[in-house]
Amino acid sequence: MNMFTLAKKSLLNRKSTVLLTLLTIAVSVMLLLGVERIRTQAKASFANTISGTDLIVGARTGSINLLLYSVFRIGHATHNVSWQSYENIKKHSTVKWAIPLSLGDSHKGFPVLGTTPDYFKHYKFAKKQPLAFAQGHAFKKQFDIVLGASIAKKLGYKLNDEVVVSHGAGNTSFHHHDEHPFTVVGILKPTGTPLDKTLHLPLIAIDKMHDSGAHAQVHEHEHDHEHHNHDIDLIGEPKQITAFLLGLKSRIGVLTLQRSINTDEKLTNNEALLAIIPGLTLRQLWEMLSMVEQVLLVISGFVVVSGLLGMLTSLLTSLNQRRRELAILRSLGARPWQIGMLLVSESVLLTATGCIIGIGLLYAVQLTTATQLQETSGLQLSFTWLTQHEMLLIAGVLLSGLLVGLIPAWRAYKYSLSDGMSIRV
Amino acid sequence: MISIKELSFSWPKQKAILKINALEIKTGESIFLQGPSGSGKSTLLSLLAGINQPSSGTIEILNTNLSELSAGKRDKFRSEHIGYIFQMFNLLPYLSVIENVTLACEFSKKRKVKALQKSKTVIEEAKRLLNHLEIPEQLFCQNILNLSIGQQQRVASARALIGSPELLIADEPTSALDQASREAFIKLLFKECKSAGTTLLFVSHDETLKPLFERYVCLKTLNEANS
Repeated sequence: MNMFTLAKKSLLNRKSTVLLTLLTIAVSVMLLLGVERIRTQAKASFANTISGTDLIVGARTGSINLLLYSVFRIGHATHNVSWQSYENIKKHSTVKWAIPLSLGDSHKGFPVLGTTPDYFKHYKFAKKQPLAFAQGHAFKKQFDIVLGASIAKKLGYKLNDEVVVSHGAGNTSFHHHDEHPFTVVGILKPTGTPLDKTLHLPLIAIDKMHDSGAHAQVHEHEHDHEHHNHDIDLIGEPKQITAFLLGLKSRIGVLTLQRSINTDEKLTNNEALLAIIPGLTLRQLWEMLSMVEQVLLVISGFVVVSGLLGMLTSLLTSLNQRRRELAILRSLGARPWQIGMLLVSESVLLTATGCIIGIGLLYAVQLTTATQLQETSGLQLSFTWLTQHEMLLIAGVLLSGLLVGLIPAWRAYKYSLSDGMSIRV
Repeated sequence: MISIKELSFSWPKQKAILKINALEIKTGESIFLQGPSGSGKSTLLSLLAGINQPSSGTIEILNTNLSELSAGKRDKFRSEHIGYIFQMFNLLPYLSVIENVTLACEFSKKRKVKALQKSKTVIEEAKRLLNHLEIPEQLFCQNILNLSIGQQQRVASARALIGSPELLIADEPTSALDQASREAFIKLLFKECKSAGTTLLFVSHDETLKPLFERYVCLKTLNEANS
């Protein structure tokens, strides 16, 4: 029987305090790993929101603001982009495709996006992953609507259901466009991006809903539009849009076109526009949020420290009651350092078991809350085995457990030197 | 076996609490060391076990001057040559009877080797000793909390005797036992010590036990610091 076995048996003899200590460590390890997992996966999910788009163009504002409202549907555009500028830029020799985005309406708090069917063809997320339909297809008629995966699930919509869009963004609206109900023709597969919470409808429907006939010419007749080859015009000629996405023929031209849009008045029709490179702005945005990231890490670090302090308290308070046990071991020939080792073994055993339970708890919590988390925050946590970084964190916790164990070990060592074999407790 | 000469012990900056001019104990003797509370019994035992060092004078056990050994070597010497029985509650509550007995061999290779000279395994030696001390076999694997106080003391004796240490120190081991159990326990202890050739130093304040031993030493008289 070595010191480790002895430590294990001694711990089993103090089940209630040991269980509480284990629970403290396990919960703190679960929180540490949970925060770390949410942090890294949120970061990945953030970066995965848009890919394959070379430039996003909107009215001149901050680059992060443009990214937030055009991609993340957070906030609002202060100005719109004129249709003329969109047309001018679209015709630029380096542009391969352009997709207009019109935001501002909502449905039960979910954002509505007016766009073209090309959106489903060119918009990519994660590692250039195209959008895919779980059911149905892209809109073909003016009052067709395509739903993001989360909306369909949360609101229980199926194909051919009718949806009424409300004026303005947000949960509460005083004006519903109930004269123009939309028919669900497609439901997208989950992407883990804000797209899952977006309702997509033809650009022309936005103008038609707002009855701005003067601004848009609505054509219900057969029309061979230059953007696509649909039988029905789904674009019209709106006066303005919120922003647009650009895909270029070659990535080499990205910086040149960006500079041109930002500075060339002829190209933008004297309109103050801003073109941003999504990847670059995403990085800037994440850097801005890195403070929060650091704070989260520090908080979870403190949680682990408090867990280990709980273990230290439990070991130190039990130590005085265990002086008899230590004296018995001394009488049998145990050296003071062996007594110290017993305490270190106990703290290592407690920390290691706490870590194992903590990892188990993490997976259990992830399993039970994954759906809810995705629905409420759009964050999709993947069930992966521990990453190298997470394993390093666990190793750090184990090392800290060992170091914390040195404190009661030192006390036990001192007790065993002073008490010797005389048991006077 | 034990030779004490001009021994003096005091805690730092305090007057001496133990002063023994001379004490000789021969191999195989059974000594009854009697003394009231405060007479220096615990201090003497910690000096004999090598936990504390004398302020002056020498203690030789098996011709080894304990003062000349380092703390680590004194620990090793104790684990190899000295068995120790406490007053009561001297077994580890989270170990079974057998585990408690064999624990002594975990800290001393020499005692393990000696145990293996008597039986095939350390566990068998533990069982043999427990049988001699009249512990029922069905209790061997049980938790010590299931044993009576008398049984616990006999298990503690088996643990002190495993690996045949040359010296057995029993610190008031019978204080929790009634008169009949006390005598029966001491007789069993004598029998085991005789068969192992172990010297027994029995410490108690109970004078009624005096006639059972070969030799009686009164610590109150022996300790000049009391006078």
